Amino acid sequence: MRKWYEEEGEYSDVVISSRIRLARNLKKYPFSPKLSEEQAVALNHEVMEKLEDIKNESGTYLTCSINHMDEISRLSMLERYIISPIMVEKKQETGLMVAPDERASIMINEEDHLRIQSLTGAMNMKKALEEAYKIDDYIEEKLDISYHNQYGYLTACPTNVGTGLRASYMVFLPALDAAGNMTQLMNEAGKFGVTIRGMYGEGTKACASIYQISNQKTLGMSEEDIIEKLDSVVLQVIHQEQKRREHILNTNFSVLEDQIYRSYGVLKYAKQINTKDAMTLLSQLKFGEDTKTVTLEKPNMIFRMMMEIQPANLQQKLGKIAGSAQRDQKRAEYINMYLPELIK
Amino acid sequence: MLCDICHKREAKIYYTEIRNGEKKEQYLCEECAAGQSTFQTNKGEYSIEGTLNNFLSNILGSIYGEGEQKENKDTMPRCESCGISYEDVLEHGKFGCAHCYDSFKVMVDKSLRQIQGANNHIGKQPERAKDSSKSYVLNMTETEKLSLQLQEAIEREEYEEAARLRDQMRVLKGEEECVNGMKKKENTAM
Repeated sequence: MRKWYEEEGEYSDVVISSRIRLARNLKKYPFSPKLSEEQAVALNHEVMEKLEDIKNESGTYLTCSINHMDEISRLSMLERYIISPIMVEKKQETGLMVAPDERASIMINEEDHLRIQSLTGAMNMKKALEEAYKIDDYIEEKLDISYHNQYGYLTACPTNVGTGLRASYMVFLPALDAAGNMTQLMNEAGKFGVTIRGMYGEGTKACASIYQISNQKTLGMSEEDIIEKLDSVVLQVIHQEQKRREHILNTNFSVLEDQIYRSYGVLKYAKQINTKDAMTLLSQLKFGEDTKTVTLEKPNMIFRMMMEIQPANLQQKLGKIAGSAQRDQKRAEYINMYLPELIK
Repeated sequence: MLCDICHKREAKIYYTEIRNGEKKEQYLCEECAAGQSTFQTNKGEYSIEGTLNNFLSNILGSIYGEGEQKENKDTMPRCESCGISYEDVLEHGKFGCAHCYDSFKVMVDKSLRQIQGANNHIGKQPERAKDSSKSYVLNMTETEKLSLQLQEAIEREEYEEAARLRDQMRVLKGEEECVNGMKKKENTAM
């Protein structure tokens, strides 16, 4: 079963993933600001019961309660992009239904009653949208969804009303980052109704040159138009990044090559390493792989490693670890072990 | 002349209060006058702006609020269905329920135009919604239609028309006594 982050596809040297999120609410319950504890429990029960047979190619969705999980498990799911930051924090009853291959999920009682999420690797928003529609149509058969003839799908926050659609590309922009172009790019994208944010979305910092690019507006345009508009901006960003990479390769190849091999060396033999350093080095290695400066035995492992060395994921994977010093050792051990061999 | 309370700002308002048969006269600045608890009910010499604001929130408040005798600050519109006030919506940026979109329609339309640049949905819709969209206006109750007209009147700043529509709604809701009471109050206030 291939996970989304192992997938090759269009522009996969720059675009890591394409994600669709649809916000939906049930007619029966008030929105989250007015939802009581009892109603939150009832909402979770109802959704899980009515949707119990939902499945995709990888099998029937797995169902779990999020607020009853321990914090490490919740954070770990956030780090793997299964749930959102709001879900990690929320004390009320929250739930999750997720496909075994983690490509599709439904968050229950996030900011809206339902958040449908669909993920594919590389640049393929069309496929992500198709998948999300399948889930949406299935849900509409089983549950009464709040829809307004003028405003479309109603959401708790007016910034999501209409289509309820957030289409988001995760992109890797090391060359633009190194050239100091990101702030300017963020401002310019804003003028086209497009937002550029950090690796874990709203309010998170950019890390390892990984950014999320998504649409701002959700009303007054069809889903297809929203995506087309977003794509035109993203394609420009991709071309700028590629041009910049080419320039670096042409003018500074030996420096770059040296840097990539050094990063590989440190990752392979370090005895302790914190998240930030590891992310920077992995980012350089990914750059080497994407520009074909180095070839790795197992392709597309680097982004997966980036997710897995995040504090909560590491803790989850390696059992109980006491402090950050111990975690840094374990992180180094993990990287030493899983770092793919170089093909000379 | 300086204000009798703060002794700092220029007094602009002549304020008379009769409490327990005792007459008390004061010259106040606007800030201190607004702080007087009884001042809100004494509309004689307040600025025109204040009266208009009161009037507007009274119109909205009497439709959305539950009671008549609310204090000024409580007359912000509320959603009939979930009870959330528009102030709360503004503060948190989130609505309380699906009905809020209709309860605060004037503001919703305005703010959606600002946030989204549009206020009509184009795109995917549920199967069952496809037939009902045409009959949307036809299916509105008389009160709902009036409510829409009222909000439009307020937006055009046609307050007399708004008051007329409000009264009509009241009648429909079978609250005639209430309306008469309000009319008397307004006549003395204006």
